Amino acid sequence: MDAFGMGICAAAGALAFVAGASEDIDSDIGSQSNPNSQVQLAAQVGNPHRIYNKAIAGEPPSNALWCAVACLMAYVLIEGYHMPLLFAAVAGASLAALFDGVMSISAYLGRSASQARFNQWIYLDIIRYTTPSIMAHVWITSFCITLIAIIQVYVLTPHHPFPIPVIGLIWGITVGAIGSSVGDIHYGGEREFQWRLFGQGLNTMLSGQIVRKAEAGLRNSIDNAWFCAKFGGPCTGLGFGLTVFLDNWRTTVFDPVTQATYAIAMGCFFVLAMNLYNLYMEISARKKYGPYPGYKGDIAA
Amino acid sequence: MDQLKGFKLEPKQLRMYGIIGSVVGIYLTVGLNAMTGTKVFSFIGCIAALFAVLWGANSIRRICSYGLGTGVPAMGMLCTGMACVAAVFGLNIAGRFGFEIAGPIITLVYAMVFGYVVGTLCNKVMKFNIPIMEEGLMDGSGACTMAVLAWSVSLSGSLSYNEIIATVYNTGFLAVIFILGGMALFHPFNANLGPDEKQDRTLIDGMMVGGLAMFGLGICSIVTIGFAPAMLTIVVGFALWYYFFVWYFRLAKRDAAAVVGTGLLPPSAL
Amino acid sequence: MSLVFDTNMLIYMLEIVVGGLLVSVGVHFVPVGGAPAAMAQATGIGTGTVTLAAGSGLTGLLSAGLMMSVTDNIWPILATGAVGSMIMMDATMLTGDFIYSYAVGCPYASAKVNYDPITMFPQPPYVAPGTVGQGIPTVCFVSGTIGALLGGVGGAMIYYPCLQIGGNPAQAAIFAIGIFFVQAVIPSWNIQGTIEGFHDPKFKKWPLAFKASLVAGILLAIMTVLIQPLGVA
Repeated sequence: MDAFGMGICAAAGALAFVAGASEDIDSDIGSQSNPNSQVQLAAQVGNPHRIYNKAIAGEPPSNALWCAVACLMAYVLIEGYHMPLLFAAVAGASLAALFDGVMSISAYLGRSASQARFNQWIYLDIIRYTTPSIMAHVWITSFCITLIAIIQVYVLTPHHPFPIPVIGLIWGITVGAIGSSVGDIHYGGEREFQWRLFGQGLNTMLSGQIVRKAEAGLRNSIDNAWFCAKFGGPCTGLGFGLTVFLDNWRTTVFDPVTQATYAIAMGCFFVLAMNLYNLYMEISARKKYGPYPGYKGDIAA
Repeated sequence: MDQLKGFKLEPKQLRMYGIIGSVVGIYLTVGLNAMTGTKVFSFIGCIAALFAVLWGANSIRRICSYGLGTGVPAMGMLCTGMACVAAVFGLNIAGRFGFEIAGPIITLVYAMVFGYVVGTLCNKVMKFNIPIMEEGLMDGSGACTMAVLAWSVSLSGSLSYNEIIATVYNTGFLAVIFILGGMALFHPFNANLGPDEKQDRTLIDGMMVGGLAMFGLGICSIVTIGFAPAMLTIVVGFALWYYFFVWYFRLAKRDAAAVVGTGLLPPSAL
Repeated sequence: MSLVFDTNMLIYMLEIVVGGLLVSVGVHFVPVGGAPAAMAQATGIGTGTVTLAAGSGLTGLLSAGLMMSVTDNIWPILATGAVGSMIMMDATMLTGDFIYSYAVGCPYASAKVNYDPITMFPQPPYVAPGTVGQGIPTVCFVSGTIGALLGGVGGAMIYYPCLQIGGNPAQAAIFAIGIFFVQAVIPSWNIQGTIEGFHDPKFKKWPLAFKASLVAGILLAIMTVLIQPLGVA
C-alpha cells in the first residue's frame, strides 16, 4: 500500500459518487426505466402529460452504451494519438452525450407517437429544452466512468488487464443497475405521485394517475431533477461509490499477490456489515413507523 | 404529411433480406478489400450490418409483442451475448481448416441452431407457449451474430481470425459492438412500444441506430484500419444516420396525434 | 491443422457449464421487484433481473480479472469474484433501503410469507394496503447476497477457462460477458421478471431454468473451447 495508490483509489470512489448521482438525475429527467411504466400508463388512463418519455432500453444497457462509447473515443485518442488522459475522457464524454441526445429524441418521438389513440401529443419544445439537460448529465456520468476506467487501466497498480471499453461497459451496466434500483424509488415512489398517503407505496388503484401539474402551470421533467437531486441522486451515488471504493480499496490496501486472503476476508467483512446494518434499519423502521392502521388480519404485529 | 408512404414487410421477406444482405455485404467488403489491397471498402461491412439489424429488429418486435415479463432488452442481450462468442467461432473453425471464406456461413448456421434450441427450451421446458418463439429466437440470434460479424469485419477489413482478434477483441471494441448491436436490435421496438406501434416506424428507427453505430464504429476504425478509410465510414455513417433520422421524424409526425411546437395539454385532458 | 479434443478441453467445458448453471441458479435468489418495486408497490429491488444480475456478476468479473492477472490459482479468483459481486449487490440493496425508509417512509415487508424465515418478524401488518409489500426485508437481503455470491462465482468460473484457452484477457472478458448474459436471461424468463428470493413460491421453478441453462451452456461451451488461438498463417 502506498499513499499515491490510496489517493487514486479514493479519487475513483469520489468520481463514482458523482457518476452515480448524475446517472440517477439523468434518468429522472427522462423518466427512464421503472417510473417510465407509469408515465406510459398515464396517457392510457386518460392523463396525457408533458413529461419526457426517454425509454432507451432500461438504464443499465443505455448507460453501458454511453460509457462504452465514451471509452471508445478515449481509447482511440490515447492509443492512436497519445493524447493526455484527461482530454481523452472529455472528448469521449462529449461523443457519448451526442449519442444520448439522438437516442433520447428517438425514444420520445416513438413512444409518444405510439400513443396516438390516447391523444398524447408530441411537444417539440420539450425536446428542445429537456434533451440538453439529459445530455449534460450523461456527459458527467460518462466522463466520470471513463476516468475510473482510465485510472484502473493506466494508473492504479496492478494495471487492470481488460481494455478500457470493456471496463466502461461493465461499470456502465453496474451504474445503471444501481441507478434504476436506488434512485428510481425516489422518483417513482415520491415524486411521480404526490396525492397519495405518505408512508406507503403506491396503491395499485392510483396507477397511472401521475402528477401533471406544477406549482404554476404544467409539470415538466426538469422539475423532477430539482426534486430527485436532493435525495435519490446522492443515494445512488453512495451505492455506486461504495461499490467502486470498497472493491478497489481492498486490493489497494492488501497486495493481491501475497495478501489475497486478507483482501477477500475484508470484502466478506464489508458484506456482513452491510447485512447487519440493513437488519438494524429494518428493526428501527418497524418500530418507528409501526403497522398500517387498516390491517384486519390475524397475525399480530 | 399524410401522403408519406409507409411499408409493410413479411418476416420471411425480411429474413431473406437479412441473410443475403449481410452475407453478400461481408464477402463484398472482404473481396473488394483484397482485390484492391486497401481497407477502403470496409464501410460496406457496416451497411451489411444494417440488413441484419432490419431482420433482427423485426424478430424482436414479433416476439416481444407477446410480453415476456422481463422487458424488451433481455432478449436483445441474450442474442448479442451469444453473438460475441459465435461471431469468431466460425472464423476460427474455418481458419483452422485453411478455408477462411466459409467462416460467416458456419457462424450463421451455428447461431441459428443455437437460437432455435433456446427457443425450443423456452417453449418445451419453461412452458412459454409462444408459438413463434423458436422462429423468432432463431432470427434474432442469427441477425445479431451477422450484425456483430459484419461490424467486426468492417473494423478489421478482413475475415482473418487473428486480425479480428487483434483489432476488435484486444482493443475492447467488441464491447462497443456488443452494446451498440444490442441497442440497434432492441431499441427500435422498445422506443416505439405502445398500442399504435407501426412496423415501418420501428424498422426505420433501427436503421437510424444502425447509422449511428456506423458513425461510432468509424471512430473506432481510425486506430484499426487507418484514418482515410475510417473517415469514409464516418461520413457514410453520418449521412445514413441523417437520412434515416429525418425519415423517422416524418414517420413519427405521420403517426402522432399531433405535433405541436409548444402548448398546454390537449383540450380533452385539461 | 484439424480439430483436437482432449481432457483439458473437457474440463474447460465443464467449468463453463457449471459457471453458467451457478449464474442461472443465482438469478433466482436475487430479490427483484421490477417496475412496481420502484413505486414501493412490491417487495424487492426495483429493476430488471437480467441487468441487476449482470451488474453484480460483472463487477465480480472485474475483480476476478484483476486477480487473475497476478495469480493462476483458481480459488482466490473465484472468491474475489464472489466478494466483488456481493459488495455491489449489498451496496445497492442498502442504499435502496435508505430511500424506502427515509424518503418513502415505510417499513420493509414481504407479502409472500407471513413470517420472515430468518428474523421471524410478522409481515402482513406491515404491508401497505393496495400493495404487495415494499422494501427489502432481511430474508430478501440475505437471499440477494447469496444470489450475488453465486453470480460472482459463476462469472469468475466462466472467465477462468476462457482465459486459460486463449491466454487473452480482453477476449476472455468479452466471452465471459456474452455467456453471462445468456445465462442470466434464461432464468429471468423463467421467473417472468420478478421474484422475492428463496422463500418465494416461484423459486420452486428453478429446475426448469436449470435444464434450459444446461443445454444452452453446453452449446456455448462447445463453441468457446473450440476457439483455439491460431498460429500466424
